[in-house]
Amino acid sequence: MIIATERLSKWYGQVSGLNDVTVSVPEGITGLLGPNGAGKSTFMKLVTGQLRPSTGTVRVFGEPIWGNPAQYHKLGFCPEQDAFYDHMTGREWLEALAELHGMNADTAHAAATRALEAVDLLDAGDRKIGGYSKGMRQRVKLAQAIAHDPALLILDEPLSGMDPLMRRRTIRLIKEWARAGKTVVVSSHILHEIEAMTSNILLMHNGRIVAEGDVHQIRALIDEHPHRVWIRAQDPHAVARLLLGGDDVSSVKFAEEGVIVETAKPDAFYTRLTALAASGEAGAIEEVTSPDDNLQAVFSYLVKQ
Amino acid sequence: MSATRRMLEITLGDMLWGRRAVFMAIAAGVPVLLAVVLRVALASGSATVVVNGSRLSTETMFGTAITLLYLRFIVPALGVYYGTSMIADEVEDKTITYLFVRPMRRGAIVLGKYLAYLVCVLAAVLPSAALVFFIMVPFANMGPLVDTFVRDLEQLAVGIAAYGALFVLAGVTFKRPLVGGLIFVFGWEPIASALPGYVGQLTVAHYLQAGTAGMLGLVLASAAAVLLAMRTIEHREYVLEQ
Amino acid sequence: MPIHDQGYRHYAGDRALHGRGWWVIARHGMVAPLRERRFLALLLFAWSPFAVHAVQLYLGATLVRSAFFVATEETFHTFLSQQRLFVFFITIYVGAGLIASDRQSNALQVYLSKPITRHDYIGGKLLTLAMFLAAVTWIPAMLLLLLQILFSGSLDFVLDHPRLVPAITLAATLQVVLAAVTMLALSSLSRSRRFAAMLYAGLVIFAGLLDTVLEGVTRNTAWMLISPQNTLLFIIRAIFDGPPDNVALLGSAVAALVALLIACVLILERRVRAVDVVA
Repeated sequence: MIIATERLSKWYGQVSGLNDVTVSVPEGITGLLGPNGAGKSTFMKLVTGQLRPSTGTVRVFGEPIWGNPAQYHKLGFCPEQDAFYDHMTGREWLEALAELHGMNADTAHAAATRALEAVDLLDAGDRKIGGYSKGMRQRVKLAQAIAHDPALLILDEPLSGMDPLMRRRTIRLIKEWARAGKTVVVSSHILHEIEAMTSNILLMHNGRIVAEGDVHQIRALIDEHPHRVWIRAQDPHAVARLLLGGDDVSSVKFAEEGVIVETAKPDAFYTRLTALAASGEAGAIEEVTSPDDNLQAVFSYLVKQ
Repeated sequence: MSATRRMLEITLGDMLWGRRAVFMAIAAGVPVLLAVVLRVALASGSATVVVNGSRLSTETMFGTAITLLYLRFIVPALGVYYGTSMIADEVEDKTITYLFVRPMRRGAIVLGKYLAYLVCVLAAVLPSAALVFFIMVPFANMGPLVDTFVRDLEQLAVGIAAYGALFVLAGVTFKRPLVGGLIFVFGWEPIASALPGYVGQLTVAHYLQAGTAGMLGLVLASAAAVLLAMRTIEHREYVLEQ
Repeated sequence: MPIHDQGYRHYAGDRALHGRGWWVIARHGMVAPLRERRFLALLLFAWSPFAVHAVQLYLGATLVRSAFFVATEETFHTFLSQQRLFVFFITIYVGAGLIASDRQSNALQVYLSKPITRHDYIGGKLLTLAMFLAAVTWIPAMLLLLLQILFSGSLDFVLDHPRLVPAITLAATLQVVLAAVTMLALSSLSRSRRFAAMLYAGLVIFAGLLDTVLEGVTRNTAWMLISPQNTLLFIIRAIFDGPPDNVALLGSAVAALVALLIACVLILERRVRAVDVVA
């Protein structure tokens, strides 16, 4: 595991930021989800060694991270706050930070150029950061995180302030980095963006981990919230009559152009539905979708519990 | 050490080309301007300085300028401003995050910034004092005064190091160190210097004027303060306001 | 009706008249420093000269009939002079970030997008600082006068010194206005409260030192005009002691302070804007 925490807690005076978190982050992209104040930024600051754990441990690449600057070679962090040296140009800033990674001037220059190119800021690289738009500032922040080619990227709300085109491009970039072998932990509270990047999530709420793993597996485990399946058919009444007979169906109700079925046993239900569709007994079944087999539903069910 | 050197280079650029250079320019330039005005006024006979019935020589005036302008204001003020801002500015601007996630000890940040402060302020103040000396003191009288002049420059250099070290430690330790620093330099030091007994020894100014032993002690204390600042930043957490 | 509508309701009450924005800004600006223990300690310490003078007045009115302990106009003049150190520190503590912090966090645009004018904003910020400065100048000075009346058991002191109350009020007002307006103007010049604080420290202390040196060399007191602090002290002395021999210098001093205040107001007019025009 790339990141491993064991009973990790952090409190600020009387306020608990993180509460008894034991979690492992594997390779690939992991989405860190949660409402505001869930503890996402605290978790990221602990993982990047900016805060010391109050109790518990946090290991990155198998080693403790607090007070261990040698590990920071492998780490790239894009913080949430909009803070820069406004008097420097984008390129100057990237080169200075790259040099702090031990690169000489030429290597730092090349690294800065690559990073600026990756985030589509090459043309604006020689302008002062103070004159950048919000989206450009966000991109140059991303650039400083990748300039030294780290193995682990921690990105705190990286898409904030970006226009839709740049968001799509950045999501594509993140997926490319993951394909290239980097591990990426990306936090957001915009669920469909996380969904576009990964199905592996860490869901946080009130400083605790509420769920971790594949979003579909998590969904399947939420038994008290039956799956809802929407079926558009030629003869909805026939479909409803035939489905109601089975013990895998909790309820059926009619909706526009179809029926909505609630089932607590989705595997068994889908098997029966497939057989029904193949037999043609209920007429043509035109479309089957599950509106809540997604991150939004998982998020709502778990966080509102 | 290379991390310190890189931090020094980055900070040098910031101090020399940023808005903070304004204070150094004023601190270095105004005494020189004043010296020129005084020298012209004295040479033209339109001004004389008489103390206790006797005319004050330009050499004595130079000594007064060193004490009054440089040691009582310029050196402490630059020490307070640059010393406290080294880390406190980064924390307030929330740019400290970028430095803390680089593969270097946090102490190297402090040391690099302190060395940059030393280089810049020494390069501004010592030549300024030298210029004031050459303007105020007639060439014929310079010979016997060289030793005094060199001692004055040593005093300035040690003062710059000491105030900077003290306030870099304050900047690393406290949240709003500038006001406390100003209170120490412009409140406590003048008051304590006027009080009897050991109270006056609780100031930097006392040791600057206590001869070689005092200045040596200040140099050691400065080194200790910087080391303590380096150690403090390694262990301290900086929770940035959201 | 038995079941009430729980939906959103538009506010239908009165809104405060236009022109009260300055009070809202001042009120909230005063609350923030009062939450800091450091600042409360500074305020408390700023009242220590009051305590010393109060004891002095008590002794002068009761136990000791020495000239040192008897209250005169000079007692109050000395008190206000002593308070200028605390005026300096409180001005920096409260005032340096008043506009600079808003500029840094882009809050200025937010303020000026509300139905308040720039003058409401500047007035509110000015009042914030002025209230704290008055709390360490005019208020303790008037309380000392009140104590003198209480300890002596008669109004004779006030009746014998009829210009004392206006003198204290005028002197304290000048101290407060000069410090507040100057600090606010310097704060509007920068996005860094630290930078603004050092500019103010330079203006007060460095200018004072320069004045001392130049006056010493040229033996010409007119050099005090380069130091706002020394100019103010000269005017305050004239308020308590009467016009000096060199009335022209007094006129120049007043003109210098007025010029400084006008310059500060012009800076504020120019700097406090919702948008920066980039040529």
